[in-house]
Amino acid sequence: MELDFSNQAHFIVALAPEIILAVWGIVILMVGVSSRRSEGPGESLDLGWLSLLGIFAATFANGWLYGVTEVGTHSMIALDGFALFSNWIILGGAGLSILISQSYVEKQGLQAAEFYALLIYSTVGLMVMVAARDLIVIFLGLEIMSVAVYVLSAINRRSRTSAEAGLKYFLLGAFSTGFFLYGIALVYGATGSTHISAIAESIASGAAHGALLMFGIALLAVGFSFKVSVVPFHMWTPDVYEGAPTPVTAFMSVAVKAGAFLAFLRVFSVAFTDAYESWWVILWWLTVLTMVVANLIATVQVSVKRMLAYSGIAHAGYLMVAIVAANESAAAGLLFYLLIYTLMNIGAFGIVILVSGQGEDRLEIQEYAGLGWRHPLLGLGFTVFLLSLAGFPGTGGFIGKVFLLQGAMEADLVYLSVILVLTTVISYWYYLRVAWYMWMRDPTLNAAASPIQVPVAMRLALIAGVILILYLGVFPGTTMELARSSVTALSAVGPGLIGLAP
Amino acid sequence: MQAAGLEEPQGAWEPLLPGLIILLPLLGFAINGALALSAARKSADAVRAGREFDFLENGRPASHSLPTWVGPGVMLLAFLLTLVNFVGMLGADLHEPVIRSYWTWIATGDLNVAAAIQLDQLSMIMMMIITGVGFLIHVFSVGYMQDDPGYPRYFAYLNLFVFFMLVLVMGASYPIMFIGWEGVGLCSYLLIGFWFSDEEKASAGKKAFIVNRIGDLGFLLAIFLLYLVFQRVDYVGVFGNAEAVFIYGGPVITTVTLFFLLAATGKSAQIPLYIWLPDAMAGPTPVSALIHAATMVTAGVYLIVRSAVLFALAPLSSAVVAGIGVLTALFAATIALKQQDIKKVLAYSTVSQLGYMFLGVGVGAYTAGVFHLMTHAFFKALLFLGAGAVIHSMHHALHHTHKDWDAQDMRNMGGLRAYMPITWVTMWLATLAIAGIWPFAGFFSKDEIIWMTGAMAGAENAPYQGLYTVYWILALAAAMMTAFYMARLMVMTFHGENRTGSTEAEHLHEAPKTMWIPLAILAALSVFGGWINVTTDLRESILGGFGFLPMSEWLHGWLEPVTEAAHQIQEANLGELAHAAPLGGGEVVWGLISTVVALSVVLVTMRRLGARKVPVAVEDAEPKGFSRILFNKWYVDEFYHRWVVDPILTTSRVLGRIVDAKIIDGAVNLVGNAARAVGWVGSLLQTGQTNTYAFFFTVGVLVILAMIGLQG
Amino acid sequence: MLNALGYENWALHALIWLPVLGMAHVLWAAEDRAKWLALRWSLVVFALSVGLWWAYDPALGGGYQLESSRPWIAAWGVNYALGLDGISLFMVMLTTFTTPLAVLGSFNYIKKRQKPFYALMLLLEVGVVGVFTAVDLFLFYVFFELTLVPMYFIIGIWGGERRVYAAIKFFLYTAFGSLLMLVGILYIYARGKALLGVTSFAFVDLLQIPLTPGEQMWLFGAFALAFAIKVPVFPFHTWLPDAHVEAPTPGSVMLAAVLLKMGTYGFVRFLLPFFPVAAQHPSVVTLMLVLGVVGIIYASWVAAVQPDAKKLVAYTSVAHMGFVVVGIFALNVNGLQGGLLVMISHGISTGALFLLLGMLYERRHTRLIDEFGGIGRVAPWLATAFVITALSSIGLPGTSGFVGEFLALLGVFEDHPGIGIFAASGVIFAAYYMLPMVQSVFFNALEKPENQAVQDLSRREVAILAPMIALMIVIGVHPTPLLRKMEPSVQMVLERVYAAAPPSAAVIESGRDVSGSEMAE
Repeated sequence: MELDFSNQAHFIVALAPEIILAVWGIVILMVGVSSRRSEGPGESLDLGWLSLLGIFAATFANGWLYGVTEVGTHSMIALDGFALFSNWIILGGAGLSILISQSYVEKQGLQAAEFYALLIYSTVGLMVMVAARDLIVIFLGLEIMSVAVYVLSAINRRSRTSAEAGLKYFLLGAFSTGFFLYGIALVYGATGSTHISAIAESIASGAAHGALLMFGIALLAVGFSFKVSVVPFHMWTPDVYEGAPTPVTAFMSVAVKAGAFLAFLRVFSVAFTDAYESWWVILWWLTVLTMVVANLIATVQVSVKRMLAYSGIAHAGYLMVAIVAANESAAAGLLFYLLIYTLMNIGAFGIVILVSGQGEDRLEIQEYAGLGWRHPLLGLGFTVFLLSLAGFPGTGGFIGKVFLLQGAMEADLVYLSVILVLTTVISYWYYLRVAWYMWMRDPTLNAAASPIQVPVAMRLALIAGVILILYLGVFPGTTMELARSSVTALSAVGPGLIGLAP
Repeated sequence: MQAAGLEEPQGAWEPLLPGLIILLPLLGFAINGALALSAARKSADAVRAGREFDFLENGRPASHSLPTWVGPGVMLLAFLLTLVNFVGMLGADLHEPVIRSYWTWIATGDLNVAAAIQLDQLSMIMMMIITGVGFLIHVFSVGYMQDDPGYPRYFAYLNLFVFFMLVLVMGASYPIMFIGWEGVGLCSYLLIGFWFSDEEKASAGKKAFIVNRIGDLGFLLAIFLLYLVFQRVDYVGVFGNAEAVFIYGGPVITTVTLFFLLAATGKSAQIPLYIWLPDAMAGPTPVSALIHAATMVTAGVYLIVRSAVLFALAPLSSAVVAGIGVLTALFAATIALKQQDIKKVLAYSTVSQLGYMFLGVGVGAYTAGVFHLMTHAFFKALLFLGAGAVIHSMHHALHHTHKDWDAQDMRNMGGLRAYMPITWVTMWLATLAIAGIWPFAGFFSKDEIIWMTGAMAGAENAPYQGLYTVYWILALAAAMMTAFYMARLMVMTFHGENRTGSTEAEHLHEAPKTMWIPLAILAALSVFGGWINVTTDLRESILGGFGFLPMSEWLHGWLEPVTEAAHQIQEANLGELAHAAPLGGGEVVWGLISTVVALSVVLVTMRRLGARKVPVAVEDAEPKGFSRILFNKWYVDEFYHRWVVDPILTTSRVLGRIVDAKIIDGAVNLVGNAARAVGWVGSLLQTGQTNTYAFFFTVGVLVILAMIGLQG
Repeated sequence: MLNALGYENWALHALIWLPVLGMAHVLWAAEDRAKWLALRWSLVVFALSVGLWWAYDPALGGGYQLESSRPWIAAWGVNYALGLDGISLFMVMLTTFTTPLAVLGSFNYIKKRQKPFYALMLLLEVGVVGVFTAVDLFLFYVFFELTLVPMYFIIGIWGGERRVYAAIKFFLYTAFGSLLMLVGILYIYARGKALLGVTSFAFVDLLQIPLTPGEQMWLFGAFALAFAIKVPVFPFHTWLPDAHVEAPTPGSVMLAAVLLKMGTYGFVRFLLPFFPVAAQHPSVVTLMLVLGVVGIIYASWVAAVQPDAKKLVAYTSVAHMGFVVVGIFALNVNGLQGGLLVMISHGISTGALFLLLGMLYERRHTRLIDEFGGIGRVAPWLATAFVITALSSIGLPGTSGFVGEFLALLGVFEDHPGIGIFAASGVIFAAYYMLPMVQSVFFNALEKPENQAVQDLSRREVAILAPMIALMIVIGVHPTPLLRKMEPSVQMVLERVYAAAPPSAAVIESGRDVSGSEMAE
């Protein structure tokens, strides 16, 4: 079927997944409210599965949309492979987050309905964001997502840290939003449009006002950098990630980051293509800064949760390489890597949740002493996640990194690649450190005293994660192809990606 | 080696199973080795059980009989086989070496080393010495070692040594010779440290090996250099083209030969690498006789004679060889003067005699060198075995009363002739031989060397004539010393009254048959062994009984095919050698003079020392003055320790403990720690204060905007 | 007979995948059967690998044989491609030969957590065999890194006091090098894409890419660093002693016998043919030769003063690898052949040395040389085996050690006599570090009572050592068959090197800055 957006009704089709999810969110709330009186164990679980159902529905719809093509590229909502692939990632992240959060929500006695509903809403926001072809719409999605996530990170009323995290995130988020919005305004002022392809064309035609445009681009970059936590706009990340309830952290670290990055890519490598020469240096420095600082600081963390927060920042650095390279391989690499990253990070946080006994205590690395020998499967799983995060051959993480590096190479970013691998060596240290506590130390007494049970949902998530990571590590072929083809869609817009290949 | 070398020569003579000559000792090693291992297992159990393992409890164990037959047995067979081939070669007048190639050892690129042996007059004479003297010493060992727990192991090592020694002399190329070269070094290492529980002995073995390795380095480099020049390293290939390729006295050939000389000084215990040989006396005495007197230590001489062509082309190197030789001869002799340990005296005597051989080959008298090598093998082996017999008997005597005296210190002996007459007589014969007294073997060989030195000094256009004159004088001086210290040895050991102690003396006894029969045979050889290479002048003179004595210049003719090339080069470049010594006088005259002088030295020494009363070791005072320096061997060992060993050790420690651990590894760890330190500092910025974060945020924004501003 | 089985087609794959099956089996079976299973599987693998000797025919030229390739990651032109040439042939056989012995050698040593241990040993074998048989650069890199993980855990879990430190150091240090190499690999790949439009990691394709001398220098650096750390070449060697001292016996054996060879193998396989201009650039050659020589002498001297026998042997490895480097960068047939032969003989003799030290450790629970003394009297067979191995290690003629060193030194002497002399002095220092250790461990008086109780070799231990010692002597006496099998491949490498015109210094100096436009600002 063909979509012609001159017909407003067709937006409903194009936005089918988002709409389904939004409605589903409301349903969840209803159910939650109606069953509020009979609050009891198991209830959160039901809601969890229920919301998962919604995710599935949306996923299904997303798949169905592959059969649908759009006419022209002037709508505010893109219905291209890029958006659809991005949706896979985001939905996947959301689904896995729900799986690992169920028992946590129950144990911590969180408001299940609110929790899941908010999670779904933020997902909707993200999907809107990645599909948007108009800065305004991107902003819209961004805010839908952000507001929901602010609340999520503060959702544990009994926990002071959670509240603190929420507040910090909110304050700084608002701060950055200001820049973002101002950036949009400036770009509009420079190009006379907020629509990506229009902007691209006006830049290409040289009609755009240079200075204004540059400042606009810069401020937009700042806004995105904050969301994907790029140094020096990252400082909220460790605190918020640590303070927020672990499942929320997991969700933020994957889905939110993914969404932001994907929008980032679309805006910069499509709209600002022809300004590349003037912005890549800025992002180059931000990238280097991010990789170096994050990895260095991560080496001294004692709390695994916080370590993972910094690892998240470091990964933002690696992914930034794709933005800087801004060519097809890089973009495809970004998609592929985000997919992997979602799997491995969710897995890692899942383990953290388990070890911390569905709570926020026992996050220190000592708690992991001898874990491998106490729970071999958990240990193996975590080892796989860590090796993948480290980008070790045999895991998807490796393929992803090579993908990014290839993009960088084609853009002649040799120094950047070197810095990437050198910082990767640093990262080996803190990933392996966990592995050595797990396998090369004997369990502490209280750790040994508290055996870990793995609830069904969690088990699902972890197993899925491990299997997919290994699968993508060994047979990445098809997925890579899909990523590539999804990216080509971007080129269809305006001048398209600048292949900086020498 | 290339095809040319591999081709069988057209020579009429077909050697009989030459490979078997090498294999027999190897076979013996295999059998004895197996026996040794099983025996060692038994004794190990005993040691673990806490008791000393003694073969004599519960009678002789089985391991005793078999090695006795295998060890000397294979040697006898090897000797007979060699004899057959020797006779065969005598019959055939052979001008080309006979080469038997078995398999390709190393083949890569254009390097091709065949596992081949070469039979010619030189290797044959060496084989005769090795297997012949070797056999006698094996037999002697049967008696000497019979009570030793390591009996089979001993014979295993001894067989292995002979195997390698044969490889050394029979190999058809330098790399093959090198196998034997290092192999014999290994065996001497194992045999010196045969009683390895004694740290001193084990260390002596180690010292020998390491010092030898220094020489081996020279050998390797020489091979490399030859390969560079010829693209092949087999004798035929090298010597055949040497004259064509090298300029007489050119730098390359000089370097090659000097490298070979370095190797030779190591094996043959010459200055500066002689220091290991005296320590090597820690080994069982028969070993000293075989390895450190008769065969292995002469390998250096063999190497030079084998490379005669090369040395002939390098006058400078030859002069150096001769110089080192004569200096060593003199230097070692001085030390020998004041040693109290009977084996030490013999050790330094050996070094000194090897010096003579070097002098000989250095002045181009290759035949003379080999000749002295042979006679020396006879009388020095005899002397060592005799000393062994003495020590053996002393040991038993002291053992009986558990007297903790040194069984090797001559001051504890005296008057032994009454107890062991055969040993006494035979050793006297050897002494006269080594002292160079007519008509004993040593006279002819040593005399020829000295004579040739003189002749070289007078050669028409020889370089360094003055130098050779000095050599000649020094050689004479050393000869006199030889006479003295040998006489001293005999007197202190056999003459005067016995100092061992009355009760002990009762247990002094003559050596058993297995021990004295070899002595007798060697004695005969020491007496008449010299008669096979007497120049016509001497033969016609009184020294040859005016031609009536059965003497000949056989050896010279025999070695001619091997050495003629070298001799031609010499004649071509040096011209006619002198017919008179530097001080005038012909060969006969100087022969008479040296004999008379040597004899008188011996007699005087006997008179003087015989009269003097020698105090036993424990009561003897430290030597004073100059003799103290001699007694302490000129403090050479101390010198080496101070200036070579210690510096290397210190450097190694510094490198190990500081450079490696602190600096290099420190740098590596520093990187890691620095990274974490920086990380820690960075983490301090994470104050947790929202306003700090906002601050950095703003800074970031400003910097970016600034960058843009600068850009455009 | 082999042809009848179609051996050429499946042999290499079997060598890689059988150990994987073995792992599964070991993990699945009962704890107490683990070691026997591991032994059996590794023996099967070895038995299979023996066929390679006949399957590889040097007469067909030095190129790859037994090749087989399947697309793996089509989009990048990555193939799961295996092949064998004269150089890798013996590396593979060395690996399959060592693994069962190492496994057998750990029977008493590894008491706890046996299943994972033996599984990791087999995984290690997979990785190493993969490294030596891969003919696709991407695949090579994957295997190259894969070997780190099992070794990391083997050292870290079953190691000694400071095992974690050693394991991390080993992992980070080597990973540091190989990651830089990864950048190099991808750079070459990108160039290929850009210049020739070929998307492939196959050696044959990459060799076609015309790299400028400048690029070659950079890439040479990246690859050389990776391999130099692995070898290890002085001054990148300090991880090795730590790793060896802390690793359990089988770990040290695999490390010394096989893993180090991956580095030198990389030298021969990549540095020379891929970057011929850089490889024969005088300054590069000099640098490598000097590093090699310094390594020989320095390591020997440092080894000589080590109180810990295992550490001593570890340093001797550095010295031996010095000979290999010197031989390789002699850039002539003799040198290269010698280097390869040293790799083989070092694998055997040093592997055996570590096994022997492990046996001593099991008896005395110490590695300090001064703790021993007079062992030869209570354990004569052990002593004999040790002395023979030590002699082979210091290159006594007639043992495998000599031929290699002889050729390597000969090779370097041909073109660089000065350096050759220094390198040759290594034969003296070899005696200088080895003999004192032998003496104070096995000779001298047997004073300490605990030494008196030391047992001699058991049947199992004899079974471990016998084949190794036999091989030392066989190779020493008749190395020609090996040399003949290696020569054609070595020739190919050298032709490749000399085919490239010697670099004009000017080009190097003003060599195109590989970072290209990036830093143009």
